Amino acid sequence: MLASIPPAYVAPFERAWRNRELIRAVVRREFISRFRGSALGPLWAVISPLFMLLTYTALFSLTVPQLSAGMSVTDYASSIFIGLIAFNLFSELAYRAPMLLHEHVNFVKKSIFPSETIAWTATIRAFTYAGVAFAVYIVFRLLTAGTLPLTIVLTPLLVVPFFLFILGVVWFLMALGAFTRDVAHIMASIVPVLMFATPIFYRLDQIAAMSGSMALWLRLNIVGDYIEMLRSVALDGTLPNIFGYLALVAISYAVFIGGYQFFMRYKSVIVDVI
Amino acid sequence: MSSEPSILCAGVGKAFQLYAHQNDQLKQILFGLWKKFYKDKWVLHDVNFTVEKGERVGIVGRNGAGKTTLLQILCGITQPTKGDFRVAGRIAPILALGSGFDGLLTGRENARIGAAILGLSRKEVDACIDDIAAFADIGSFFEQPMRTYSMGMIARVAFAICAYAKADVLIVDEALSVGDEIFQRKCERFIADFAKTGTILMVSHDLNFLAALCDRVLWLEGGVVREVGDPKKVIADYRRAMLAEEDQASGVA
Repeated sequence: MLASIPPAYVAPFERAWRNRELIRAVVRREFISRFRGSALGPLWAVISPLFMLLTYTALFSLTVPQLSAGMSVTDYASSIFIGLIAFNLFSELAYRAPMLLHEHVNFVKKSIFPSETIAWTATIRAFTYAGVAFAVYIVFRLLTAGTLPLTIVLTPLLVVPFFLFILGVVWFLMALGAFTRDVAHIMASIVPVLMFATPIFYRLDQIAAMSGSMALWLRLNIVGDYIEMLRSVALDGTLPNIFGYLALVAISYAVFIGGYQFFMRYKSVIVDVI
Repeated sequence: MSSEPSILCAGVGKAFQLYAHQNDQLKQILFGLWKKFYKDKWVLHDVNFTVEKGERVGIVGRNGAGKTTLLQILCGITQPTKGDFRVAGRIAPILALGSGFDGLLTGRENARIGAAILGLSRKEVDACIDDIAAFADIGSFFEQPMRTYSMGMIARVAFAICAYAKADVLIVDEALSVGDEIFQRKCERFIADFAKTGTILMVSHDLNFLAALCDRVLWLEGGVVREVGDPKKVIADYRRAMLAEEDQASGVA
C-alpha cells in the first residue's frame, strides 16, 4: 500500500530505474543519429574539446597575462579547460532544455512515452561528451605536467551531485519551455552573461582579492562552485572545504527534487498545450 | 482468470484549456493559483463504458467527436478532467503513424526503441526482434533509414512492434487502413488471434472492417456515447445518421 508509492526524495530514481531500458535505448539512438553520416563519427567528441582547449590556451595565455596570475601557460590552460567542460555542459543543456519537449512532440503526444525520461537522456548524453572531454584533459595533463594529483579520484563525488543539479534544471526548463518559447530566448541571452559570472577564465580567489563582496555574489553561482571544486581535486590536488561541499550537495539535491516535482506537476497539462 | 473488466470508463470528461494568447499559458503557470487565464473547451463530456477481457470493440464517430482524445486518456497520455478510468494490464497503442519513429534510424533500431517504450526489456527485445522483422515483412527496408519508408511500411513496423509487445490491451487509432491488402489480412488474422488472450479497442472509419472484426461497436458523438452494441446495428444507425446529415446539408445548399 504505502510501499507502492516511493517517498518524494527517491521517486525520480525509482521512475528512472523502471524506465532504464528505454533511457538506454534512447541514449543509444541519440549517439547513433548524431554520428551517422559523418566521416569521423565519434572522433568529433574528442576533436571539438581538443580544438577548444588549444584555442583558449593560445588566446588567453598570450593576450591576457594578468588573468593567469602567475600560473604557467599549461596550468592556466588546464584551469580554463576544466571550467569550460563544466560550463559547456551546463550551457548546452540550458539552451536545449526549453526546446526538448518540442523536439519530442510526437513521442510525448502520440505514444505512451514517459516524458520525464527525456531529461535523463539529454543529461546523460551531455555528461558523456563532458566525460570524453575530461579524458582529453587527463591526457593533456599527463603530457604537459607529467603527473596528476591523487585527489582526481574524488572527481565522481563531484560529478554525481552536479549531474543531479543539472537534471533538476533541465526538468524545470523543459516544463517552462513547453508553455512558452520565450524561455529559449531568455536562456540564449542569459547564458553568455552567466559565462562571465562563472569562474572559467579566472579563479574565485583572484576576485576575492580584488572585491570580497563580488566574490560572495559569484559564490551563488552553483556551476561556478562546482568548477572551483573540480579544479581543486583535478588540478591543484587540494581538498575542497567539506562544509562547502556538503552545502553544494544539499542544494543540488534540492534542485533535483524540485525540478522533478515541478515537471511532474505540469506533465499532464504540458501534453495538452504543446 | 478474473472477471474484472479490461477497460472501465466511468463518467470520463476532458476539457482542453483554450488560451486566447500564447503568453497566457505562461501566466497560467506563474499566477494560476490566483486567476484563470483560459477557457475550458470540453471535448468529452460523460463517457461511460466497459470492455470485457478478450473483447474486440470498435469506435466510430465523426471527426472531432473525441475518439482520439478518448484513446489518449486510456493510454495515460493525457489526464481526464473528470471521471475515472482503469485499464488492466500492459497497453500497446498504435495512435498515429510514425510517431516516435526517428527518420534517421533504421526500422530495426526504431523497433528496438518502440519496444522499449512499451516496456520490453533488452533481453525480450533481442528475443523477438527477428519476429518483428518477419511480421513487418518489408524485406531489406528493415535495415534502411525510416525516412525512406512509405506510409504502409511505417504502419507495418508499428503494428509488428505492438504484435510482439506481449500486451494485454491493444489500442489502435486508424492506422491499419494504409496497409495493403496482404498486410490488412495479416492484421485481421492477428487481431482475431490477439482477442483470444487480450482486449482490443480500435478506432476506424472503415466501417466494413469494424463490422467484420468487432464484437461490439461504440458510437461517439459530441463527446458522449451515442450508442453501443451489436456492430451491425450501431454501424447501420451511424450510416443512417451520416446520410441524413448529408441530405440535410445538400438540401440547404
